[in-house]
Amino acid sequence: MSQLFPRLILAAAFTVAGAGSAIAAKDLVIGVESNMPHLDPANTNDTLSQSVERTMYQGLFGFDKEMKLIPALAEKVDVDETATEFVFHLRHGVTFHDGTPFDADAVKVNLERVMNPDNHLSRRSLVSMVAHVDVLDPSTVKVVLSQPFGAFVNNMAHPGTFMISPKALAQYGKDIATHPVGTGPFKFVSFAPDTVKTTKNESYWKPGLPNVDTVTFKAVPESGSRFAMLQTGEAQFIAPLPAELVKPAQAIPSLDVVISPSIVARYLALNTMKKPFDDLRVREALNYAVDKTAFTKIVFNGYATTMDAPIPPNLGFYSRQGAWPYDPAKAKALLSEAGYPDGFSVELWGATSTLAKRAMEFLQQQFAAVGVKVTVVPLEAGVLTAKLWNVQKPEDATMQMDYTGWSSSTGDADWGLRPLLYSKSFPPNLFNIAYYHSATADAAIEAGLASADQSKRAAAYAQAQAIIWKDAPWVFLSVDQLIAGQSKKLSGVYYMPDGGLLAEEATLN
Amino acid sequence: MTDIVVSAVDIDSPLSAFWRRMRRKRVALCAGCAIAIFMIAALFAPWVAPYDATTPDYDHVLSGPSFAHPAGTDVFGRDIMSRIIWGGRVSLTVGFVSVALGCLAGTTLGLASGFAGGFLDSVIMRFCDVLLAFPGILLAIAVVAVLGPGIANVVYAIAVFSMPVFARLVRGSTLALKQAVYVQAARSIGVRRLPLILYHILPGTLPGVIVYLSLRIGTSILTAAALSFIGLGAQPPSPEWGAMLADGRSYLGVADHLTVFPGIAIFVTVLAFNLLGDGLRDALDQRLG
Amino acid sequence: MLTFALRRLGGTVIVLLTVSVFVFGFVRLLPGDPARLVAGPDATSEDVAAVRAEMGLEGSLLQQYVRYLGQTLRGDLGRSARTRQPVISEIGNRFMPTLWLTLAAMGWATLAGLVIGVISGVRRGRWQDQTAMVIAVSGVSFPSFWLGLLLIDLFSVRLGWLPTGGYEGWRSLILPSLTLGATVAAVLARFTRSAYVEVAGEDYVRTARAKGVPERGVIWRHTLRNALIPVITLIGLEFGFLLGGAIVVETVFAWPGLGRLLVDSVSLRDYPVIQAEILLFSTEFVLINLIVDMLYAVVNPEIRLR
Repeated sequence: MSQLFPRLILAAAFTVAGAGSAIAAKDLVIGVESNMPHLDPANTNDTLSQSVERTMYQGLFGFDKEMKLIPALAEKVDVDETATEFVFHLRHGVTFHDGTPFDADAVKVNLERVMNPDNHLSRRSLVSMVAHVDVLDPSTVKVVLSQPFGAFVNNMAHPGTFMISPKALAQYGKDIATHPVGTGPFKFVSFAPDTVKTTKNESYWKPGLPNVDTVTFKAVPESGSRFAMLQTGEAQFIAPLPAELVKPAQAIPSLDVVISPSIVARYLALNTMKKPFDDLRVREALNYAVDKTAFTKIVFNGYATTMDAPIPPNLGFYSRQGAWPYDPAKAKALLSEAGYPDGFSVELWGATSTLAKRAMEFLQQQFAAVGVKVTVVPLEAGVLTAKLWNVQKPEDATMQMDYTGWSSSTGDADWGLRPLLYSKSFPPNLFNIAYYHSATADAAIEAGLASADQSKRAAAYAQAQAIIWKDAPWVFLSVDQLIAGQSKKLSGVYYMPDGGLLAEEATLN
Repeated sequence: MTDIVVSAVDIDSPLSAFWRRMRRKRVALCAGCAIAIFMIAALFAPWVAPYDATTPDYDHVLSGPSFAHPAGTDVFGRDIMSRIIWGGRVSLTVGFVSVALGCLAGTTLGLASGFAGGFLDSVIMRFCDVLLAFPGILLAIAVVAVLGPGIANVVYAIAVFSMPVFARLVRGSTLALKQAVYVQAARSIGVRRLPLILYHILPGTLPGVIVYLSLRIGTSILTAAALSFIGLGAQPPSPEWGAMLADGRSYLGVADHLTVFPGIAIFVTVLAFNLLGDGLRDALDQRLG
Repeated sequence: MLTFALRRLGGTVIVLLTVSVFVFGFVRLLPGDPARLVAGPDATSEDVAAVRAEMGLEGSLLQQYVRYLGQTLRGDLGRSARTRQPVISEIGNRFMPTLWLTLAAMGWATLAGLVIGVISGVRRGRWQDQTAMVIAVSGVSFPSFWLGLLLIDLFSVRLGWLPTGGYEGWRSLILPSLTLGATVAAVLARFTRSAYVEVAGEDYVRTARAKGVPERGVIWRHTLRNALIPVITLIGLEFGFLLGGAIVVETVFAWPGLGRLLVDSVSLRDYPVIQAEILLFSTEFVLINLIVDMLYAVVNPEIRLR
């Protein structure tokens, strides 16, 4: 008799445990590369924090997994032909995680928050062209700009303009950065710089979503350890997976390797205001001197594609230009013609990461074959940005060649061209470190922004890209491929071309 | 009649007695020869190494050890064995010189501090406390900011942050040795301060110093590699051992030979210095006996 | 002893003040614009100016230093430029993980180092000595990421016994502390051996043996006490270094420690965090060196501290 009671308890316990595992929670753990400093979308500038914010926040518009613009909290937008007045028709029946209804007032509060210079928010430039925001009715908002900006709707898809609950803003003030309250598929649970936990939003406005109960982001900087996490099942999705680990990952039956295109372009910027790069023939020669296929094979283990236009294919208004074929003989001929039959010496700057150094060494080897002697100078991030972006006058720039990359976070050609190749974008305004200035390219870039008409913009950007491709202010190198590893049980998590993650449709089997 | 201190003076000169003892330590002598061989190989790298350290071969990247390439090839197809030989120039120099400099400076400070005591001791130790508070990375960045990048400055940077360690080590031993019987005896017969420190106290601190010096050589080679990640130190395509290790990190489990062979090079070097150091210390030790 | 400690603590204030001036000036020596780095590549120059204003980087150096000193003395260590969170919480959140890791690593490393070192010393010249030497040298020649990743591969991936990283529960402490302690154990083993060997030949050991004290007693009571001086010095120093964080181990095991915080803050020129961390390290070293000095006197009563 005294034996029966404990046994009953034991049996009951096992039954409960068994039943519990049958309705086990579907928990998704995503392993990422770096810490997430905080979660205020108007103040973050790294794609990782933005990815985490994307699980909890949404903007008027958004991006699908291929960086195509899609409506989100706004159902549609009317734009006038001067691209200065935007009327957003908001979605009905959406509430924030704390119950506050999402309406035009909320939009006004959020936009004005970012616009307000006293808030010192680093994403302010996304809305700095806004003159005023008017609430027409609870689900209609009119935004009036002080100058035409055809890409404004893209700015409304950028995480910097995600909608935060006005009640939470009032309640938390600056601490909103560690207490996110949005309209997204997941609700905030806890924050630590290396671990962010979220849970399912039961009243999410998209029916049938989300499919998992929790999403946790864990920062694991060492790629070998991240891969180990995937192997042990501690994580079901890891990004990025370095190219070196693709083969071992593919050899494991329970794992999948997902490869997708990105909008990250890698190129060598040449200071077109300095000798010898002011001579078009020299710039052309350098483009002919690099075997781009070998570049992708050696530096990226084959997981990159060659650039065939000044902007990557997945960017809005991309226009394919062609190729700069590998022709060292022609390169030498051009150099002689330009007055450098024995080549010249030059410094090549870049970051100190392993990949950057590998790329720079490769370029050093390629250029050596045509007589250009390169000294590789990897510079620490702070020093590099100071030497490149803090230069006040073009004549003072000491950069000769810089190996760098760029990703247009608005998904639009404007941000892929204007900050880098527009004559008004010389440092310290923006990032035209090649000091490239072409009146015709300038005109085309301006035309692209002056209208919101898709076909007009497309024509303008096609022209701009053609001009830039011929002028070769850069040695055009490669476009990254994004590599992620996931458990075969997982589907619905996407690696977006800008490097961000979309976990809304995550499903675990 | 000789007293204890005087009996420490040998019949033949100290130097030849030391050398006599050293000659008997075969292991240490072998180690010394090995080090000499490494240095010569590094010096004559153009003739010793089978391949050039920087010529790429894109058709044979990341291949494992084979007859053509005993240590395999790296991500650009360069022969790793040759790069290790060439790399010896930088790594052996950086490894040894930087620690030796730090040792010299630190030992001097430690002796002065421990022997003098009082205010001088406080000042020197507080100065070391300030240095110790700055992690190596920061001090190295400071050196770069002031002196500019380049391998010579790596040497100075590492010397600067190993100095306070030697200082504290030597000071500790000095404090203890000050009280030792033979030191008190020497003092009582009027031996002056400087010879006292140099001939009676310093040898007593040497065992600790030699052990730490020989161990740190490996660490400083590795540190030099870590510093390259902040833009300090040997720049590509320099075949420095630590840099080769760092570059091989992402290939662990895929192309292990990238890290194993430079690691072995460092291991053998440090082992040789340790064996030599032990021999030196033992040979010196009997002088005190 | 007490007056010694008090006078030393007084000297601490001077050290901390000196450190604060040095680190303040030092971070501003670094090339690079912190506002630009924090605002990020997508920020325009107006965004950057906004960030600069928020970081309090206005005014002359002296004005900035006085503001900084005043705030620090009041206990306000400012906000991290990168995360906008108070510096105290940034550091506070990482202090305990670093402390645990340090204690665990130093704990086993000291034990292993002393034991192996004594064995090597006693069995000097024999195979135990040579083996220990080879192990110690490997400990300092191979980088810690190698050992760390190897341990993860074996114990997490293949055997599934331990987690791959993170800071959750005592199990996650095992692999990182083993990796971190390896170098320390190697150094301590060699030091202990060397100290043992050196002292074993000393006159008073021979005298004790001559007096007929049993062998075991000789080893433990007379030799070890004095041999401990350099060993104690080194343990103190290593403890101090580990408290400053261990960047490689923290990276490989995703351990939320002070080492990575420092490196990240330096990359982004996050002045408030850098300054606060250095002050913390400085305080730690001063305390540790004080304790070490007092231990010298305990171990060897003839040492007089002034």
